[in-house]
Amino acid sequence: MTIRELYDIIDGNYDQAVRVMKSEKLIDKYVRKLKNSHLDDMMEEAYGTMDAARLFESAHAMKGVCSNLGLDALARAADEITEEFRPGNPRRLSDEEALIKLRATVERYRAAVAGIEQYEAGC
Amino acid sequence: MIISKQLKKPQLVLIVDDQEINRDVLGMILEDYYEIIYASNGREALAMIEQYKDRLSIVLLDLIMPEMDGFEVIARVRGDEFLNSIPIIVLTAERNAELRALQMGALDFITKPFDMHEVILARVSRIIELSEGRQLISAAEHDQLTMLYSRNFFFEYANRIHHYHPDWHMDAVVLNIEQFHSVNALNGREFGDKVLRTIGDEVRAFLSETEGIASRIEADRFAVYCTPQADYEALLERFQAAVNALSRNASIRLRMGVNPWREDVEPVLLFDRARAACNLVRGDFKSHLMIYDEEMQEREILNQRLLNDLRRAVEEKQLVVYYQPKYNVQCDPPRLSSAEALIRWNHPELGMISPASFIPLLEGNGQIGVVDNYVWNEAARQIAEWQEKFGVTIPVSVNLSRVDVFDPQLEQRLVDLLKEHGLDYRSLKLEVTESAYTDNAGQMIELINHLRARGFEIEMDDFGSGYSSLNMLSCMPIDVLKMDMAFVRNIEHSEKDFRLVEVVLDIARYLKVPVVAEGVETQRQLDMLKDAGCELIQGYFFSRPLPPEEFERLIQAELETERKSEA
Repeated sequence: MTIRELYDIIDGNYDQAVRVMKSEKLIDKYVRKLKNSHLDDMMEEAYGTMDAARLFESAHAMKGVCSNLGLDALARAADEITEEFRPGNPRRLSDEEALIKLRATVERYRAAVAGIEQYEAGC
Repeated sequence: MIISKQLKKPQLVLIVDDQEINRDVLGMILEDYYEIIYASNGREALAMIEQYKDRLSIVLLDLIMPEMDGFEVIARVRGDEFLNSIPIIVLTAERNAELRALQMGALDFITKPFDMHEVILARVSRIIELSEGRQLISAAEHDQLTMLYSRNFFFEYANRIHHYHPDWHMDAVVLNIEQFHSVNALNGREFGDKVLRTIGDEVRAFLSETEGIASRIEADRFAVYCTPQADYEALLERFQAAVNALSRNASIRLRMGVNPWREDVEPVLLFDRARAACNLVRGDFKSHLMIYDEEMQEREILNQRLLNDLRRAVEEKQLVVYYQPKYNVQCDPPRLSSAEALIRWNHPELGMISPASFIPLLEGNGQIGVVDNYVWNEAARQIAEWQEKFGVTIPVSVNLSRVDVFDPQLEQRLVDLLKEHGLDYRSLKLEVTESAYTDNAGQMIELINHLRARGFEIEMDDFGSGYSSLNMLSCMPIDVLKMDMAFVRNIEHSEKDFRLVEVVLDIARYLKVPVVAEGVETQRQLDMLKDAGCELIQGYFFSRPLPPEEFERLIQAELETERKSEA
């Protein structure tokens, strides 16, 4: 699997990743680090208690990292959660609706990590 | 030439982000240009900022982080006087956060994702450059020892006050340490610096209570531009007390000059005068404060005018040489022996100016050499003219000032002058004041030895008016001792003074040199001096200083007396 194929599988924006990291080698280097970031665990832990502050922090972190890696779909999902739980913002979703979004985001993140692991295995 | 760009210091960048990938990606963008260090949360960042505060060029700071967020870091850094000059750029993607961070003191922002490398590099570089420039300006703005303004900034700010706030009436105060070099020499430079810092602290404390600015304008000279104070004596005592508290063993004395506000007087001039006032109490053991007043200003204006006019005075022969005769009183009747050349300035607008008004001034600024030279030339010309007219030589004494001692051409110039007028060395006698001897003893003795070896006669002028020492007399090669008029003034009424005159005459006898008594005004004084063995007399008793044409009458009278005695 090439890195471009990986990006296709995990719904990433390879061209954006190139814009940030300039070389395939660096994209390779940093995308591998994603699986060690445990941003999914942070988010899962936060939605276990529906702690708004921690939900905001975890979503914000995921958004930043994913946007730098060109994982646009994940970054957008994390952005929606960030805005939902940003201190001072009015809540738009009920907890149940938010929970659905949170779980979906974690799932999507884990799918991306699984794709990266497949990519690593194929290298 | 080394250009400033080559002297750029290594630039250290701290990247703060809780996500390793973000830190790494940003580090990757900057690593070719900067040394990078990382922190993963606000608390860690603060510790590193503290640790690297002297080297850190910039902090790139994520805002949303666990433990301590970026806003808290900004607040802590901006609130710390030792850290607040370190620039911060925030890493964010949110408009609200950007605004808040900028309002708190962040200088710029970088948005995530970090996909515009050139923009990021440009922003980091620009902020570092601005910040270094600001730090350089800030360092130049203050004297690092006292933290008062440096001289240039002080005068710039004083000028702004003067020009833009003409209704603020500000006095100029100059504060100086008496013999500061001795304080340093005796107690060490470190202690000297402590004294300067203490004064700086006290000046700043004073300025926290009153409106004003201050600077250490030179080594141990402070300038304070402040609203008028009711009691400057008390202010000086306040500064003095702070210095006294430093050490019981060191005796340090401050002196102060004040120039009260005057409309339309620029700060630089205001401070020049405050400094002049401060210099007037240099070495004064009783008074340490001087307020510049109108009399001082008038004197200063006159002095400046005289200094400006001197060259023209020489060119236009406004300087007139008068001659005061010296008589040998051991003859009967007394015989005209020689004369002393005395300068007068016939100023076209100010009238006749006494030498007391301009000689000390010219001595002070070194221009006395111009006048000396003028007098030597005039006197030599006059001696030659009288020789031709009357067939006799009237030796004339002229002054040799302290500054002349340093003229390497002096001896040759005097020799050339005599040659030009066909005079022998004894025609032009050289008077050197006692203080000139004491100030440059070694150099003076060497010069005088040379001149005497040539055949010049040296007269010690004003003997007894300064700090004479018998030892000095034994070392100095002289041909005539001129006793200062202060000795003569009271001999009629004070036995003690007369005894002193006798002592001087005894010393001269011991040295085998004749004495000229100056300032003799009465017959009684003359008789007493003559009886005591004094050979030569100068003073109003015989004649005041005369212009050449009047002096010629004395020569004619002398020649008449000679003819009669021969007949």
